[in-house]
Amino acid sequence: MARVEFALPDVGEGLEEGEIVSWLIGPGDTVVRDQPLVEVQTDKALVELPSPVAGQVVSLAFAPGDIVKVGQTLVVLEDGHGGDTAPAPVPGAAAPAVGRPKAAPAVRKLAVDRGVDLGTITGTGPAGRILASDVEAAAARPPATGVHLPPMAPKTNAGWEAPDSGVHLPSPERKTNAGSTDGLGWMEPGRHPLRGIRRVTAEAMRRSWSEIPHLTTLDEVDATGLLAVRRRLADAGIDTTIGALLVAAVARGLRRYPLLNASLEPAPTDDAPGGSAGSIVVHPDRNIGLAVATADGLVVPVIRNADQRGLADLAAEVRRLTAAARDRRVDVADLRGGTFTISNYGAFGGRFATPIIRPPEVGIMGFGAIRPRPFVVDGEVKARPTLPWALSADHRLIDGDVATAFAEYVTGLLADPIALLAELLVAGPGR
Amino acid sequence: MVVGEVATGVDMLVVGGGPGGYATALRAAAAGRTVTLVERDRIGGVCLNVGCIPSKALIHVADTAGLPAEAAAIGVDLEATVDLDRAQSWIGDVVGRLTGGVEQLLRDAGVTVVTGSARFATARRMAVTSGDDAAFFEFGSVVLATGSRPVELATLPFDGHRVLDSTAALALRQVPGELTVVGGGYIGVELGGAFAKLGSQVTIVELADQVLPGMPLGLARVLERALRARGVTIRLGTKVIGRDGDDLVVEGPTGEARLPLGATVDAGTGGAGGRVGGPIGGSDGLVVVAVGRRPNTDSLGLPGAGVRIDADGRIVVAADRRAAPDVFAIGDITAGPALAHKATAEAEVAVIAAGGGRAAFDPATIPAVVFSDPQVATVGLTAEQATEAGAGAISFRFPLSASGRAVTLARPEGYVEIVAERGGAGGGTVLGVHMVGAGVAELAAEAALAVEMGATLEDVALTIAPHPTLSETLAEAAMGALGRPLHVRRRKETSGP
Repeated sequence: MARVEFALPDVGEGLEEGEIVSWLIGPGDTVVRDQPLVEVQTDKALVELPSPVAGQVVSLAFAPGDIVKVGQTLVVLEDGHGGDTAPAPVPGAAAPAVGRPKAAPAVRKLAVDRGVDLGTITGTGPAGRILASDVEAAAARPPATGVHLPPMAPKTNAGWEAPDSGVHLPSPERKTNAGSTDGLGWMEPGRHPLRGIRRVTAEAMRRSWSEIPHLTTLDEVDATGLLAVRRRLADAGIDTTIGALLVAAVARGLRRYPLLNASLEPAPTDDAPGGSAGSIVVHPDRNIGLAVATADGLVVPVIRNADQRGLADLAAEVRRLTAAARDRRVDVADLRGGTFTISNYGAFGGRFATPIIRPPEVGIMGFGAIRPRPFVVDGEVKARPTLPWALSADHRLIDGDVATAFAEYVTGLLADPIALLAELLVAGPGR
Repeated sequence: MVVGEVATGVDMLVVGGGPGGYATALRAAAAGRTVTLVERDRIGGVCLNVGCIPSKALIHVADTAGLPAEAAAIGVDLEATVDLDRAQSWIGDVVGRLTGGVEQLLRDAGVTVVTGSARFATARRMAVTSGDDAAFFEFGSVVLATGSRPVELATLPFDGHRVLDSTAALALRQVPGELTVVGGGYIGVELGGAFAKLGSQVTIVELADQVLPGMPLGLARVLERALRARGVTIRLGTKVIGRDGDDLVVEGPTGEARLPLGATVDAGTGGAGGRVGGPIGGSDGLVVVAVGRRPNTDSLGLPGAGVRIDADGRIVVAADRRAAPDVFAIGDITAGPALAHKATAEAEVAVIAAGGGRAAFDPATIPAVVFSDPQVATVGLTAEQATEAGAGAISFRFPLSASGRAVTLARPEGYVEIVAERGGAGGGTVLGVHMVGAGVAELAAEAALAVEMGATLEDVALTIAPHPTLSETLAEAAMGALGRPLHVRRRKETSGP
């Protein structure tokens, strides 16, 4: 609040003085900015003088008929800046600029691209402005939420939502990012706190590796049929992706081999002598987790009742969950209740891997990149698109024969997707 | 899904060929996407075909017709005769030239253009119908840019004859003797002002207590004064009750009133310092309703695509313009001002996000300009908004009467007001600029650059503007806000709290 003395302004037309014709307000009145206060007759015209502020009228210095010179105080106002007197937001105004980090549009775009929060940066430019170099420096430091990864490659090139061809190829963008100093695998020398997803992942992997005796079996399967079916389905207007077909096949396997869809529960610690050594819990639902790489680390959203869903439904769910995970807006509910995990580590290239089980699950199946490779067909070596796979199982519960039988069944469906489609059609959901 | 429906697989689908849609298509094609654009009517959308462009062309016609009134005062006698039919042919050429240019750019970029109305069949599939034909497109990603249409008043429905929307008003081939404009927003004041110069007797009816509701009152007052001086009747705080034969029934501050729409008036009357041309037809008194625009989201089948809309029918989007996993929306169908340049800027963001990149639409300001006479331009925050947002704000109005350029153009009315944060290095960051006066629309971009770059008052004051131009007024206003005005007297009342 402040007193404002409103003087007869110089309106720039050589005006020296004017005559007060009439007051449009009185002492005590509340006025909004630009509300006409007084009519003044100049030598040229009758003009209305608007209030320079919103507030209250304290006193009037002249009466009608008085001659006032330019610069003489006409009226004293109490500047209120009252919220209720402010006009509606200007349609042209975007988010309030007040308190925004001082950064030019190109610098803001760079910050979004690099995943850098401008609010956490001290600008080194004039008047504290944030420069592009400040953003680059901040991007090279670990953010508080965990390890910094480059943005996910466009989904048309890699990831769960397989490309139309179904061939997993590492994207050129990703290579570019991996080669830059602020990209994949980059962290500044020095000590960094273990936080966020990285901390959770570290704990889960430590527990898995120290508690679970892993057995891993791996091989590859001819993906010619799989790619053909994907194309045929697309031509027929059926919405699906290679990722959805993988989930469908694994879900059939879990239905046939429930032991892979189980958990091993240790006995409560105070129940040790003479009591149960623990229990095997076989889950009634087949909830398949999808390991999704995000800028903050691995996130595993879960497709509930994967064996109950049709292909289009699975494709939509894969898309929804992976997009949500990538944007880090996945619901906590979508991260819970997984009973088995699928990793498509091949999205980033690579043939074989040894997936690590996520406790309390007992199995994880990973798939490599589909690429042309030498493959024996009818006794001859031919170039065929092959899909490498690797299954890790908890040997405490699952022996090699069970793991192999499960894997052979699942990959058999992938090698002969007509059988998979028949399963979906004939056996149908809901069994 | 429907058995027997055959869908064409497309990489990126763009729905709408206006400034948002065609910019999306061009940018996406440049980024290597294969783009299919669906447009139900004409490439260019409202803006190029029935909005910004033809209205600016009509305003240029009107300004030219209005020259005699101004010229006499500076010693030039002119006479103007308006042939609106011929003017419309020229306006058509202007529109054709610009839309043709866009069509050529789309062809060069390899964008496939499909004519029809789009509607989601499933979350991944769009049905496009044109007459009895239907085609289905299964997309990798889709960007919705379907724009908006004029709002119709239930009390005063469009009849295409006496009650027109802005599109029909822009296409008039004869100057109406009397024109009542319902709605004093930017479309209303532009159209009303233009037809007043062309010779119509214009009345503007506005519900709010100022024209350009929502814009700073000071700007509106200058414009109201200028319109009234040109013979336009402005009825503020006035609501339309309905139409009763040849009368418009309204309710204003002084109660109910009947405004005759105007019957046939003799050709040759009217202002603008010249004769209006041609015979004037039977529907001589016309009403134009321009009370806002409604987003075109109701026929898109959005619920089936998992896309949410707000209470105003606008699509809810994230900062990267994402409405659903692979669905993006930009322009008038999203929150914010329904302006072409907003849609075009959002297109850049949507294309990056649809390609898997990170992007956010977060401009410091979306400038708005009104091609009234005098023009109005507003950029960023007003002093009141800045104060409300918690900044100690300082502002200064530089009157155009003190600008050498404005005076030599014989247009000394209006002002340029700058708003900045109080204090700080360099005199505080510029938060907004609000202007009214002849030619100020062209100053908006410089003001927006200052706001976007976080320029301080000193930056603006120390940037040398060429003399004598209107652009000097921005620096003059900044000097004033710094407490050292050059061409006006220092004013006590700007000291504020």
